[in-house]
Amino acid sequence: MKKYFLLLLLCTSLQINAQELFVMTEPASNMPTGSIGVRAMNSFMFEKDGTLNYHIMPEIMWGASAKWMFHLQSFHSNRSTGGLKTEGGSLYAKYRFYSSDDVHKHFRMALYGRYSKNRADIHQEEIETMGHNTGYELGFVATKLVNKVAVSSSVSFEKALDNMPNYKYPPTQSNSSTNYTLSIGKLMYPKKYTNFKQTNINLMCEFLGQTLNQNGKSNLDIVPSVQFIIRSQARIDLAYRRELYSSMTRTAPNGFMIKFEYTFFNVTK
Amino acid sequence: MKKVIIFIQCIALSIAVNAQLIKVEIMATGLTCSMCSNAINKQLKTISEVEKVDIDLNKNLFVVTLKTDNKLTPKTFKDKVEKAGFFIGSMVLSVNLGNQTIEDNKKIDNYIFIDTKAQTLNGLAKVKVLDKGYVTAKEYKKLEKAYTKYQTYSKDNEGIFHLKAI
Repeated sequence: MKKYFLLLLLCTSLQINAQELFVMTEPASNMPTGSIGVRAMNSFMFEKDGTLNYHIMPEIMWGASAKWMFHLQSFHSNRSTGGLKTEGGSLYAKYRFYSSDDVHKHFRMALYGRYSKNRADIHQEEIETMGHNTGYELGFVATKLVNKVAVSSSVSFEKALDNMPNYKYPPTQSNSSTNYTLSIGKLMYPKKYTNFKQTNINLMCEFLGQTLNQNGKSNLDIVPSVQFIIRSQARIDLAYRRELYSSMTRTAPNGFMIKFEYTFFNVTK
Repeated sequence: MKKVIIFIQCIALSIAVNAQLIKVEIMATGLTCSMCSNAINKQLKTISEVEKVDIDLNKNLFVVTLKTDNKLTPKTFKDKVEKAGFFIGSMVLSVNLGNQTIEDNKKIDNYIFIDTKAQTLNGLAKVKVLDKGYVTAKEYKKLEKAYTKYQTYSKDNEGIFHLKAI
């Protein structure tokens, strides 16, 4: 019970330009310096055997400076028997190295890295250090914002290692991948701002692709979503992830997601 | 003699802190949404000398009214906007420089007037900051070419601000 309460507390965050606050990917922009964001990604995924599994990934984020930000995240799911179990955690860092801003627009570029630990059994060819595999990811992201539309694209290298405690990574599978993302977001409402309390509505569409480096197997997903920004401080995202094609084994590629975020401004200096 | 020197130093010092910022109008770049404006708003409000911040969310304009007797310079505001993750597109100061004449290339306190016709100020002056980081990157490129005759302009001198009376 206590665990659920803690998770509920964590169920809340934000970041920068709402149109680029994508559900599945991070933009090149960072959070404001000194702010702390809390976030919880809830996923309801359909297993290929017909069952529904639940994943929750609570996350705490910190804007260390205008250029650096860090995330600490944990992974929990009921995929294995016996209810919700903690499967792992990760540390993520992003460095914004380029920014060209003008009135109502910007172009930014960043490098990012993630290191994850996981104790789940390795059950698919798809590599996912966010919740499934122990391993790391190193990537580059570029984000363009023009008026009410944001477009962001990333490319990354992801490496899967052995899962804890002794789930060896299958030597017959490719243990690294190249990932590609393309995210588009548009501010739909309000048409004109009057105050901070207006709820903002963003529509988004994201494409997530992966190619396994050793055998060339690949997949591509589409994730349409709607996002509500409340009082310029909190955020609720509703998304649906759908596999467009795949030539690798994946146990539960399709499902619904609901993400909560809340930002506490100026917590640290 | 010593007393006279101290007296002169005191006067010099009082002139040095004479340039008093009353109001700062900041147009921020790189954002469109209200959450981003809120990030800047929250940063500006961490400055203890800030009386209030009025915001036009559609223009990303922040009008910062300051408490009297503050010793703030434009850099404080630039740092805060950049900490929020954005940049300054324009900054207009309402500054009290007392009753004195200004002219092209005249230095008062930390401020140098450029591209400015000779005029007598009646206390409050409205001026635009022209330095790098206080105008858009595009505008700065133009200004850098146009202001080559001003030796101090375009030098990386963070403590000195170049102003144009408007």
